[in-house]
Amino acid sequence: MAQAADKPLAGITLNLASMNDQFSAVLAQIAPEFKEATGAEIKVDIMDYGSLLTKTTADFVAHTAGYDLITMDIVWAGQFAANGYTIDLNDLMKRDAKELDAADIYPKLTEALGNYKGKQVAYPFAGYANVLAYRKDLFDAAGLKAPETMEDLVAAAYKLTDPAKKQYGFVANGQKGPAVAQDWMQYNAEMGGAILDKDGKPALNSEANIKSLTVYRDLFKKAAPPGAADYDWGGREESFRQGIAATMQTWSVGAPGYYDPKTSKVVGKVDVALAPRGKGLPKIYGIGGWGLAINADAKDKQKEAAWTFIKWVTSPKIQKEMNMLGAGSYIRKSTVTDKELNAKYPFLPVLNEVFENGDGDYRPRIPEYPEIQDILGTAVNSVLVGTVEPKAALDAAQEAAAKLF
Amino acid sequence: MNLTRSVESKAATGFSPVPFATRRKFFLLAMALPAVAYVIALGVFPLVKGMWYSLYEYNLLKPARTHFVGIDNYINLLADADFRGAIANTVIFTVFSVAIELVFGFVIALALWRDDRFNRVCLTLILVPVTITPLVVGLIFKGLLLADYGMVGYYLAQWGITDPRGLFATPSTALATLIFIDIWEWTPLVALILLAGLKALPGDLLEAAAVDGATAWRTFRSITLPLMLPAVMLALTLRTIDAFRVFDSVFVTTGGGPGNSTNTLMVYAVKEGLSFFNIGKASAISNIALLCVAIIAICFILMIRHFDKKANGR
Repeated sequence: MAQAADKPLAGITLNLASMNDQFSAVLAQIAPEFKEATGAEIKVDIMDYGSLLTKTTADFVAHTAGYDLITMDIVWAGQFAANGYTIDLNDLMKRDAKELDAADIYPKLTEALGNYKGKQVAYPFAGYANVLAYRKDLFDAAGLKAPETMEDLVAAAYKLTDPAKKQYGFVANGQKGPAVAQDWMQYNAEMGGAILDKDGKPALNSEANIKSLTVYRDLFKKAAPPGAADYDWGGREESFRQGIAATMQTWSVGAPGYYDPKTSKVVGKVDVALAPRGKGLPKIYGIGGWGLAINADAKDKQKEAAWTFIKWVTSPKIQKEMNMLGAGSYIRKSTVTDKELNAKYPFLPVLNEVFENGDGDYRPRIPEYPEIQDILGTAVNSVLVGTVEPKAALDAAQEAAAKLF
Repeated sequence: MNLTRSVESKAATGFSPVPFATRRKFFLLAMALPAVAYVIALGVFPLVKGMWYSLYEYNLLKPARTHFVGIDNYINLLADADFRGAIANTVIFTVFSVAIELVFGFVIALALWRDDRFNRVCLTLILVPVTITPLVVGLIFKGLLLADYGMVGYYLAQWGITDPRGLFATPSTALATLIFIDIWEWTPLVALILLAGLKALPGDLLEAAAVDGATAWRTFRSITLPLMLPAVMLALTLRTIDAFRVFDSVFVTTGGGPGNSTNTLMVYAVKEGLSFFNIGKASAISNIALLCVAIIAICFILMIRHFDKKANGR
């Protein structure tokens, strides 16, 4: 009886569908702690990106309520909101405002990781910052400073490329599909391009987009490792850790890996800096990451327990604990500025800057996003492998995208 | 009249009035019923449902937009250059991989025909690729052939044999590489089927040919090959239908890229169905694929009949 009183959720099992990112292993690791605290068991089902999307969507459309909690990629927010897959967290957030200490969470992350037109479809859980990782040793040797603008980055990339020495100045995702689409959208935004126009309609073949795609292609041709047109996130990170690429824009979540001598040949030679942006353009640092959402089909008791879990896992104490374990996922100002974490991960001030000034919408968070990403993924890849010119590719992509609206 | 007799016979023997032939028919029908139900539930029902879906704009993510569109899905597909490209890729993939597998398979089967220990060991060894799932095969080859880190791909690029971007990232070689992988994986199966055919050949015919002094080529052309036709057709049909549905290895190696150069029908259907949940369009693609497979199967049946007529004069 006494046990029931201090473990209010005893007997409940929550199924969590999780993306296979750094945080997922940590989630599974700390799940027993939640059971210790509340009595509820957390089952973490870790999947790759495609399986996660397919399995959770199937769960939603068939109303099978197989998962109570779902990690939601920032770009799925539009779909989740449009179809009411997950419960609106606004009321719960208002009810438990005191407990949540929401002021400590970066407002940009609360917005980007789960808010869609005022509706909170997921709670911010793992914020990623787009950052520039670069080889400080190579930059110093060549007398270069850390690139602040895209123009600097392009110039440095060309200067540091020497195929004879297996040294390349630049690397990015080139593989057909989400990989190349997402990386290019990042560069495109930094060079002043945009996917949607002011009315929210696709504007893929704008002048700025064509220009940025041309620059991107030239970088691949002349400054990237030859196989980069086939790299996805894994290949890209590997080329940087193996020391063949001098600069790479990436998600902050991968940064702990460069400091680990087991996987990295560049320990002590790397610096993580703010991502560059086009000369004279406003600060737009890319924000990505994951929110935690509650399945709308779950039973009320499960929903309440899931909300308890969200409150617990996003609390300052657990956030710090997760990141000490290498989750690489930040949402709280107090975690990002934590002394102990800063000693371990010296790049955290960069995250602070990105989360304060970031942009979560350079990849449009609209219900049509998956199709637009696919169209761009094929178009940009075709340009990189040289079968089409940038303008023709984006013209065709625009035509296909316009049909979706 | 009939009735009276059966009543009489019942009175005489105590058996049921239904004649044996009728009872047998009912019994056989009852025995077939589970199979019929099975086929209806798992074959006919999904097929009809799939055809029905293909007449709708039906996206699970946009339920509000669902409405009947008739054959619009099919018209849009045929007008879609990506789809036509996918058909072309699928046909090229199927024709080349199956043709080469048949030739290699036949050569291997002939080489392993004689039953001795060496051949038995060889047969076991060459069957290894068949036991690995296509998905894993794709991942293995991807790992081997990557231009920058692959154990094979690195040297191929280094020595200038392949494009420095790697076999999978070069539009002109990506499809050929996938065909190579399919051949690597499935030639042993073809060899096994053909070897079974060879072992079943009537020995006396071959002996008679040898006694008559026929050359090896003549024996092969006039006796072995015609008699092997059923086995060849079996291998051909199995592999063609399977190759036409290629998905796993493409999905994990190129995802249909670079560009759309290795996009196959099934990759396209899975993308529409399971990435975009576009059930209407995905059903239409699957139906077209089904139609293609049916046409291929009919062609093979006609071919078998033709050869059979020629060989047996029937």
